[in-house]
Amino acid sequence: MTSRLMQNPLGAAMACTRLLITMTAFAITSMAAVAAEPAAAASAKHSAPLEIKRPASPQPWHRYKVDSQGSSWPQGDWNAYSTLARIATAPPNGPLHYTTPIEGDPALGRQLAFDRARGGSCVACHVFGKETPAQPGNVGPDLSSVGTRHGDDWLFNYIYDPRNLNKDTIMPPWGAHKIYSVAEIKHIVAFLKTLKEPYTFKDPQEDPATRSVPKDTRDNLDPTENPAMFGLDRGKEAFKRAGMNGKSCASCHSSPETAFKTWAARMPRYEPRLNKILGVEEFIARHARATTGGEILMQSDDNIALSIYLHNIANGAPINPDLSSAGAKQAVASGQQLMRRKIGQLNMACIDCHTRERHAFKWARGQYLVEFKGTVAHFPTWRTSRGDIWDIRKRFQWCNVSVRANELPPDAKEYGDIEMALAALNKGAKINAPGMRH
Amino acid sequence: MAEPMKIRAKMEGDAADVKVLMSHPMETGQRKNEKGELVPVHFIQSVIATHNGKTVLDAQWSQAIARNPFLGFRVKGAKPGDKITISWIDNAGDKSSIDTTVAAS
Amino acid sequence: MNRSRRAFLKLAGTTGLALSIGLIRVGQAIAAVWNKTGFESKVTADALKTLGVSGAAPNKDIVITAPDIAENGAQVPVTVTSKIPNTQSISVIADKNPFPLTSTFDFSNGAEGYVSTKIKMGQTSNVIAVVKADGKFFTASKEVKVTIGGCGG
Repeated sequence: MTSRLMQNPLGAAMACTRLLITMTAFAITSMAAVAAEPAAAASAKHSAPLEIKRPASPQPWHRYKVDSQGSSWPQGDWNAYSTLARIATAPPNGPLHYTTPIEGDPALGRQLAFDRARGGSCVACHVFGKETPAQPGNVGPDLSSVGTRHGDDWLFNYIYDPRNLNKDTIMPPWGAHKIYSVAEIKHIVAFLKTLKEPYTFKDPQEDPATRSVPKDTRDNLDPTENPAMFGLDRGKEAFKRAGMNGKSCASCHSSPETAFKTWAARMPRYEPRLNKILGVEEFIARHARATTGGEILMQSDDNIALSIYLHNIANGAPINPDLSSAGAKQAVASGQQLMRRKIGQLNMACIDCHTRERHAFKWARGQYLVEFKGTVAHFPTWRTSRGDIWDIRKRFQWCNVSVRANELPPDAKEYGDIEMALAALNKGAKINAPGMRH
Repeated sequence: MAEPMKIRAKMEGDAADVKVLMSHPMETGQRKNEKGELVPVHFIQSVIATHNGKTVLDAQWSQAIARNPFLGFRVKGAKPGDKITISWIDNAGDKSSIDTTVAAS
Repeated sequence: MNRSRRAFLKLAGTTGLALSIGLIRVGQAIAAVWNKTGFESKVTADALKTLGVSGAAPNKDIVITAPDIAENGAQVPVTVTSKIPNTQSISVIADKNPFPLTSTFDFSNGAEGYVSTKIKMGQTSNVIAVVKADGKFFTASKEVKVTIGGCGG
């Protein structure tokens, strides 16, 4: 069967389709009602019918404006900068040379350095002596006495584009990427020149070196604790709800709790009919179209609810994606590459914050950075800060927007590659969904 | 139409420990929706808990209680099998209620 | 939520001024009068006045359990346990919120002086618990820091 598929895919596909229709017609009497969308034929390994022509996300794709709790999504369009889908032409980045002392207003410079609207502010990564605002980060070095260590030209250029002075930096090129103007950077330099004394924090919770690492003791599966458990109820109900042609998921899958005991732990998977990685959510959208006739777009309430249900059924099962195919291996390699790409106006790569080799286990302002391991088994997750349940793709979208990179639609191939690379990294971790996180 | 709630009442020592999670947006009136319109203030104002029909807790809430609000309280002298009910009403007049029996510890 | 409810809410307005419901009937019981003036007070001192509090003494028998650092201000878990005998009510105040009074809980028929909930906090602030017991008022206070985010939210 496999070799026939390879030699004559179309002929084999037609044969498979006929076989599939015969089987399902035998099993279910009234399948004919409203036609499900044209389904791609069964592949050799997977027999789930899938719609493969249309996108699985709302079209045209528009970034979210707000989440349900009112927290907004930044609305900037950063098309001058790289995304996970496209590498932009790098803007000119100096260095600019200053042989005479740089003049500026230190008070204005301090205000600019502490302004959260400018990419989170410098306080996201640095301590600035006794005037440091609350909860400074320590991704970058303590600058409390930086005025004694470096000259004006060096200070200016490090801020303008640190890559000119430090090829390992993750600091954004504040000037070259136009987050601060040249004049503003001069004011910041004037401020930095006033920082001449090492600083000792009075409050160990303020000092990022001694701040308590957050520990989560919540029981994410306690329905009186995690609102995502309402989503689980909805998922169970949606599973039994009839689609356009009168059939529900349950019509074919009468015992999901036994049949799918490890299914979600084997996702995401390489899907040859689409030549991309499918996560649970995209699978739901495409499979529903090809079977019950339901239109369950990614990130819709029903899609997330069904994703919670399918993951929850597999709770306790170790993450174990099928990495045997060439497609899966290619996706892992591609995902690893994408996680190394510098994107956005802030010019950051996933690995910059989320690997122990770089800056995991440091503080970005008041938030503790963690590594990739241990970060995927809890999706979909309730986000307490957003008042919504996020699937893993929304998490990627948020990360992109946070570094001022345009996000991709949730079914982007690149997100699938990253999801696969993360699943490979998290092999063995036990599914524990729905999760609950900040 | 009742909004979903989750409740659990369990004996802890000589008191029933009750936990409730209610599904409600608890809008402050300051939030803008996808269209940029201000979402009207909409929140649970009053919650009443009864034990075997007697009021034990009478709570007044503002919009500063978190979305999908949580409530925990304890009733001394309750016993397994006793009935606990929770009812709420919001500023729009919407209501919901749920009841449960106290489980042994 | 149906259309007429939405219209009703639009009428109620968007600026935090909720309907003034005199006696709310919830299920079979009649609820306490909703403390409109208290919930609309913009400073703690005014909110305390509406609760009938004057010169409340700090009391160690009131324990506020809340995180030293809350992960965000959208939902901060706050538990107040009062060991003061005959605790009649507990009110929870977030001192720096635009409207500091968040809630009041009245106890009767065996309910203990204990309540757990989650509140919204606009910023790092003191969380103040006001306990009424035997007609007298007592307070306790705990600072809760609200995490400032790294780049986005």
